Formats: sequence, C-alpha cells, structure tokens
Amino acid sequence: MLRIKQISLVGFKNYEQATFRFDKRIIGICGNNGVGKTNLLDALYYLCFTKSYFARGDQANVLRGAPGFRIEGHIDNAGQNTTVVCILRENGKKEFLTDGQPYEKLSRHIGRFPCVIIAPDDIQIITGGSEERRRFLDALLSQLNPDYLQNLIDYNRVLQQRNSFLKSVAETRLTDKHLLEVYDEQLVAAGTTVFQLRRDFLQQLLPLAGSYYTGIAGAEEPLSLGYESQLLHTPLRQLLRQGLEKDLYLQRTGSGIHKDDIDIRYADEPFRARASQGQRKSLLFALKLAEYETLKKAKGWAPLLLLDDVFEKLDRQRMRNLLERVCRQDDGQLFITDTHPERIRQEMEELGVGYQLISLPADTATTDASTRDFT
Amino acid sequence: MQFSSSLLEQAVNEFAKLPGIGKKTALRLVLHLLKAENSAVQGFGETMIRMRNEIKFCQRCHNVADADICSICANSMRKHELICVVESLREVIAIESTQQYSGVYHVLGGIISPLDGIGPDQLNIETLVSRVRKEHTQELIFALNPNIQGDTTIYYIQKKLQDANVRITTIARGIAFGGELEYADEMTLARSITNRMPVESYRTGG
Ligand SMILES: Nc1ncnc2c1ncn2[C@@H]1O[C@H](COP(=O)(O)OP(=O)(O)OP(=O)(O)O)[C@@H](O)[C@H]1O
Ligand SMILES: [Mg+2]
Ligand SMILES: [Zn+2]
Repeated sequence: MLRIKQISLVGFKNYEQATFRFDKRIIGICGNNGVGKTNLLDALYYLCFTKSYFARGDQANVLRGAPGFRIEGHIDNAGQNTTVVCILRENGKKEFLTDGQPYEKLSRHIGRFPCVIIAPDDIQIITGGSEERRRFLDALLSQLNPDYLQNLIDYNRVLQQRNSFLKSVAETRLTDKHLLEVYDEQLVAAGTTVFQLRRDFLQQLLPLAGSYYTGIAGAEEPLSLGYESQLLHTPLRQLLRQGLEKDLYLQRTGSGIHKDDIDIRYADEPFRARASQGQRKSLLFALKLAEYETLKKAKGWAPLLLLDDVFEKLDRQRMRNLLERVCRQDDGQLFITDTHPERIRQEMEELGVGYQLISLPADTATTDASTRDFT
Repeated sequence: MQFSSSLLEQAVNEFAKLPGIGKKTALRLVLHLLKAENSAVQGFGETMIRMRNEIKFCQRCHNVADADICSICANSMRKHELICVVESLREVIAIESTQQYSGVYHVLGGIISPLDGIGPDQLNIETLVSRVRKEHTQELIFALNPNIQGDTTIYYIQKKLQDANVRITTIARGIAFGGELEYADEMTLARSITNRMPVESYRTGG
C-alpha cells in the first residue's frame, strides 16, 4: 500500500510555502482557475519521477524571483515511512534525498513510488507526434525496469554526442572513423537493449489496452495497436552502417530507437485521422488503465493516480468508469483536481467512498482550515 | 559594494573571479592581505606569478612538472610499464595521496565530448598511443569518470591500440572523480585500483 501522507512546498511554482496533509485514500483538490491545483499534482509527480510532468526544464518550476525550490514528501510504503526531499539550488543543481540519503543516480529512484497521471493534454498521446507515445512508453517502462531507464539515458547521451560529432565533421571535413565506430557500438549496445525491452513489453501491454478499449467503447471495433521500429526489420548496427552517408549529409542520426512509435490504426487507417473525439478519449483511458494495471501487477500494490481536470476537460462518463474501478476494486491513493468542489463531492458520494477535500488557495501555512473530511 | 579605493575594488574583483569565492569572501581575503606585512604580500604575488610562468607540463605524461619531465616520470623506482590514464591533474593528486600506486600516469586533459567541443584532437591521446607503442607499456589503467563519455574515451583509445600488445583495465565503477573527488576516501580509491577489471567485462559489469 502506497500513501503520500504529507507534502511541503517551498518556492515551487506558485507556492511560496505550503504544507498539505493527506489522511484519506481519495483526495479532491479544488479551487478556481490558476490557484495551483495542477502545480500541486505536479509536485506529487516530482516526488515519484524526480522531475515535472509539465515543464521541460527544472528552472521553470521555481517560483519567480525565488532562488530555488524544495519539495518534501512523507510517504508510507507498506507501513514503512520514507521522507523524500528534492531541492533545486540556486546554481541549478538538483539534490534528491530519501531519508537523508542522496542518490548516486536519480534514475535509481524512478519506480520506487509508481505513479500514473492523466492530464488534459494527454490526448496528445493519441493525436500528437511519435515522441508523445515514446514518452508515455518510457515513463511506464522506466518504472518497471531500472535497466531500461539507464540504457535509454545512455542511448540518448551517445546520440547527442554522435549528432554533435556529425556536425563537427561537416565543419572541419575530418571524419574520425574510429570515433564514429565507438559511437555506433555504444548506440547498438544501449539501443538494442531498449528495443528488446520495448518489443517484449508491448506484446503484453498493447493487447491489454485493446481489450480495455473494447470494454470502454462497449463494442468490438476495428482497432489495432502495434509496435513500430526500424529495428524490427534490420539490426541497428546494419541500419547505422547503411545510413552513414545520409547521416553525414544531414548531420544527424536517422535511424535508431529514437524513431520508434506505437502504430495505432482504425480499420487500417491511421487512428488519429479517422477516430472521433470520443474514440480518442476512450483509447487514452484504455492506455492509462493498462499502465495502471501493469504497474499494479508488477509492484504488487496499486500506483498513485493523479487526475488533473479530467471531468471538465476530458470526459465525465469515461472517467466514472475508471473511478469505479480504481476507487472500488483497488486500494490505491487517488488525487483528483476540479474547479468545482460540488462535482468531486457528487462523484464520490455516488461511488460511496470516503474522501478528503482540499480547497485552494490555502489561507495559512498549514491547510487544516481548508481541509475537510467526508466519510 | 562601495569602495573608497579603486585599487581595493580591483583586488576584490580579482579574487571574486576564483571558483567558489563570492564578493564577501573576496573582501575578507583582500582585507587580510592589507593587514599583512608588505613583504608577505609581495611573496604571495610572486609565488602566483612564478607558478604560472615557470610551471611546465611533463613531455611524457602531461602532468605538472618543474622540469621537462615530472618527478613521477623521473623516478626510476616506479613501474614505468604501468600507466594510469586520468582526465586531469586532480586525479593524479588524489591517487598519489593514497600512496598505494607505484606506476606512472598519463593526463588526457579531458574526455571526448563533441557536445562540449572536445574531440580526440583536443586531448593528449596521440601522445598516449605513440607512448604505449614506444615504451612497450604492459597495462593501461583507466581512471575516468564512470559515465558514458568516459566509456567512449576508453573504447576509442582501445581501438587505436588494437594491434598493440597492451592490457587495458579500468578502476571499479562507483568511484566518482571530479566534483566528488574530495569525498572519495583514499582507501576506496586505492582498493578500486587494486580491484581493477579488464575493459571487455566492463560494459556488462556496470
Ligand atoms: N515558476 C512559477 N512562478 C510563479 N508562478 C507560477 C510559476 N509557474 C506557474 N505559476 C503560476 O501558477 C498558476 C497556475 O497554477 P495551476 O496550473 O496549478 O492552476 P490550476 O489551479 O491548475 O488552474 P486551472 O483550473 O486553470 O487548471 C498560474 O497563475 C501561474 O502563473
Ligand atoms: Mg490545472
Ligand atoms: Zn610525467
């Protein structure tokens, strides 16, 4: 059983200083637009992933004018209490500690507190470019397998170095064959590992997502989901060798796992071109539900679920089905934001589950005044 | 900060350029020098200038030296067929402090990172390759940062020395140099050199 008991924020986004205590399994967070509901969810996400879900750089998370930020979380994992602290210093250096111990590598933390988030822009996973789907896949696989994350980090680092090297070749007209060979070997080692893990994993995940989709849609639909990778047809070593001339010309690496995708089709047409709004949302929920179930099965307990604005921006009916499942069958902790406290209240009362409601903005440093429990 | 003397201000600014020294600390150091004997400050300045002007880099290993060849290379008691390859002088100093290593060194001057504008040509790699061939070195121990750029550098040099009959090893992973140098205790460092492993098993081992 995984529970975040308390979170304290200093200089994080719009929070100068705030502490929130969570004593229920289900926590509603409400308040007007712009009060910091999404920011609070993001802070929770930070504790699990050592980074923001929304902002690309750490600096964007610092309260404007503040020197840095601090997030402190008290987490109960199967009866064991852990304090997780993340500090971004003025010089941009990030420190991440559990019970006072720093990590040698941040990647070691990921997966320790499994977490699934659903936010309005996530519909991009269905409709956006391939990088959105890789990001979804990477977040999930990284939580399941630390080797995956390490290989992915290595791969991306070598890829950047190789691309930089290709640029320098264009400028100096000097090709160092040996160095290129080294980069290729490093890419092949890390890239092939990532490829194999993705391939094997998607063989489980995609059928699961497909069956959830059918469940949500309420009827069998001609949906097909498949892993797409150049490596399915040709080994990476060969791809790199064949693509070398083009790579030198374009000054970037044209083949590898950074081109992977999840191919989504509807009656043999690209799903995003063909599917209706509702069908897209169904598929998004199906993927997220498959993620949730996969993490739960692998870890032996339910992950945290963070739901941002899902009633208003995504879909109330589909959401309710998901909540049915998560609130009734599972025992995972759930954080859900909404502009309307009424809506959360109504949903939870219909589900018949106890919950805690936090109203933002919190008027004191501790939020006891604005927190109410409903059992 | 307001100064009534531009000489004072300039001195403070110079100290503040040093790494880890802010304006306040710089002022404290300058005020200290101001209180000291004239001759002491003279000595201080001259030591710095002489250090920069007269210091040499060893023609063999690129370590700092007072002569063309550094004191480590000049020492016939050391095992010259054993070379520890490091990024910078800091590692030489750290390893020497363990008093457990009796081979010699080669200072690369960095690691390969085109992202930072550092290619093999900017580093002392050519001299290492020709040195190994000429001196019939038996073993190269790489003591580089345990990251992917460090790996690149090792593999690259290994490739260049494919036909040379030299054993290539690396210190045990988990020993971080660079920023964490001061915190790596000498025993661990010494042990990681003793427990070095061949590069072939390095990749899977990490
Ligand atoms: N680095 C930062 N420094 C200061 N304020 C910030 C920073 N980043 C975000 N904010 C502020 O936080 C507020 C947005 O918070 P958030 O997105 O959490 O709102 P919300 O409650 O989720 O609103 P909505 O209901 O519209 O989704 C904005 O007013 C934004 O200006
Ligand atoms: Mg929001
Ligand atoms: Zn020397």
